[in-house]
Amino acid sequence: MGLFTKAKPTETTQKLKESYFTASQGQLIRARFKSNRTAMVAGWALTIMILTGLFAPFLSPYAPSMAGRDKQYVNGPPQIPKFWDENGFSLRPFVYATKRHRSMKTNFRWMIEEVREKRYYVQFFVEGWQYSFIDLNWDLPGELFDVDIETLTFKTHLFGTDRGGLHLFGTDNSGKDIYSRTLHAIYTSLAVGSLGVFIAFVLALVIGGVAGYFGGWIDSVLQMITDAVRTIPPIPLFMALAAFMPDEWSAETRFFFIASILGLIGWPTLARRIRTHLLSERSQEYVLAAQLCGASSGHIIRKHLLPSFTSYIIVDLMITFPYMVRSETALSFIGLGLVDPVNSLGALMQNVSKADVLLNYQWYFIPVIFFIAFVLAFVFVGDGLRDASDPYSNVKK
Amino acid sequence: MLKFLQFTMVRAFMSMFTLLSVSLIVFSLMELVPGNCAERYIAFKNTQGQLITIEDIQAEERRLGLDKPFVIRWGTWVGKVFFKGEFGDSCILRLNINQLLSDKFWISLGIALSALIVSYIIAIPVGIYSASTKNKFANNALRFISYLGLALPNFLLALIIMLTSTVLFGDSLTGLFSKEFRDASWSFAKFMDFMSRAWLPIFILGWSATAFAMQTVRALMLDEIGKLYVTAASARGISGRSLLWRYPARHSLGPVINSLGFDLNRIFNDLPVVALILTLTEAGALLIEALARSNDQQLAGAIIFLLTASIVLVNFVTDILLALMDPRVRQGLVG
Repeated sequence: MGLFTKAKPTETTQKLKESYFTASQGQLIRARFKSNRTAMVAGWALTIMILTGLFAPFLSPYAPSMAGRDKQYVNGPPQIPKFWDENGFSLRPFVYATKRHRSMKTNFRWMIEEVREKRYYVQFFVEGWQYSFIDLNWDLPGELFDVDIETLTFKTHLFGTDRGGLHLFGTDNSGKDIYSRTLHAIYTSLAVGSLGVFIAFVLALVIGGVAGYFGGWIDSVLQMITDAVRTIPPIPLFMALAAFMPDEWSAETRFFFIASILGLIGWPTLARRIRTHLLSERSQEYVLAAQLCGASSGHIIRKHLLPSFTSYIIVDLMITFPYMVRSETALSFIGLGLVDPVNSLGALMQNVSKADVLLNYQWYFIPVIFFIAFVLAFVFVGDGLRDASDPYSNVKK
Repeated sequence: MLKFLQFTMVRAFMSMFTLLSVSLIVFSLMELVPGNCAERYIAFKNTQGQLITIEDIQAEERRLGLDKPFVIRWGTWVGKVFFKGEFGDSCILRLNINQLLSDKFWISLGIALSALIVSYIIAIPVGIYSASTKNKFANNALRFISYLGLALPNFLLALIIMLTSTVLFGDSLTGLFSKEFRDASWSFAKFMDFMSRAWLPIFILGWSATAFAMQTVRALMLDEIGKLYVTAASARGISGRSLLWRYPARHSLGPVINSLGFDLNRIFNDLPVVALILTLTEAGALLIEALARSNDQQLAGAIIFLLTASIVLVNFVTDILLALMDPRVRQGLVG
């Protein structure tokens, strides 16, 4: 795509110009996005993270729940596969066997020791714990809504050793594998974010759409409501609501509750933008033409007005996403969101809030790095998309 | 002048309306959560070993006026809050909420506002520099830092600072007062002690606020800097800092002032989380206590209402300020 490079002589320039003027909106956006290097890198990072989130069970050597805990390797440091040591070189990477002991000398704290004579070799596509890609088992309030579907069940995992698995990022204080938990946490955060964004989006579309299209007093009233909701600081409000969650709720119910709260409070900014756009767009000639042809309001909103700014909506959704994830993390971090058996990034970060961890078990901080990378990637991609979808972004002012 | 007065009145009226709708939203949400004040109190008493019957609950409900319809209860609540500044009693603690909150609320507000001011003191010059500089490296570094301000959540920053200081200095920097001042009444010495400890929460809260403010200032400056009046001014021989500060900076100030209220909103968002980590005894931490331990909806409603009210007040003040400062806004009022 040489659309925006400096002019080269004659014929090619002509062609480039032609392709520029005949390019569709989508092509232009794509070309502009591709020329933004930071956004492209962030985009790839994000894609990889989303994929690891989606295929988390396949990539994890251990189950991220209590079932997958390694009782002999509690609070164990990361095991990094090696190719050689003093006992010789091996083409196949290996980790050492471990044993643990405690005594007066270690202050009765379990210490983990490597048995350097014994190697476990890393294998690919090993059989391990069983998982299903589609495993819907929702215990929602009300019998009618309970769902129990389980298909696409596999046992194969990308890597492991000849004796089970290996702990790339170490283990936590109950022996759960931090690497597996991190991958599953990315999935949970993605799911919470998507559900929250979806709810916020539907609300924003309806409220902003109605306000912007009808204008007048309907608009004024809806604007007042939107502004009122916008002034309430969301996190204290989340906390107020989340604290009323009964303890006996299942993990899934809590998950849906949190996601819906995030969505129910997150819509105003989006609604405002949709309204502003519709207000300026509805006085255009093509809307008048449609009205004269006898099209209904719903039809005009759906078929004419919304497509005119789909790209803006997508960008806005991308920008809203990291804030949803951040809110969920903050909530889980203070113990009011998703709690420990569920693997969310916030629940994982809750573990690092002790001085003991900083001194002895620094590998607990690895999920934090993933969280920062995750949010940063989303922010960069969102910004890149916003710049790319703005038709005036490369016009010199 | 008369027009201006009229504008102020309209704004004040609108702020009141916003507050009313906020109170309605907050009140309804507090109603929606399962269980009411009477049940909670009685359940609490139950754990203390007293045997409780349905009649007791109903009597308690009548005493609290919970048997009246929703609108009337909301009306009485709002009326008390607006005209007397009374939030009633807390559900569980059975204490007057005003007494419970007053000091804590003012301290929280003070910390939040200081964080806001600090963030703009940093963000305005740095944002203007970042928009006008030709130095690519400095620009990219500043942008990266401001993005990090978004991605590195405040609670994480608080945690890192706290843990580091525990390990390095043996003092975890938590709390707002030293031991000897905790229950003392306000004095100069107590104030100094407070200031020597409050910088940490102010810094942590200001961190991401600064990042946001910097991005706003930078974007606004970039919009203004290429405009013709700037070119005209530089053609008249004004250059460098005086050009930047006298022309584009003044124009971009308006939207910045406008966004103050929402920045405060954002700071309030982080307040409870940071407060929990630093275990400060302010409304934020109290909010968590009130909510997580005893489900005290009366207290929670009061706190959220107070926070929102201060945001609405800031919005009102900035609206007036804007009209005073910007002749274009004033013109809009008259015309």
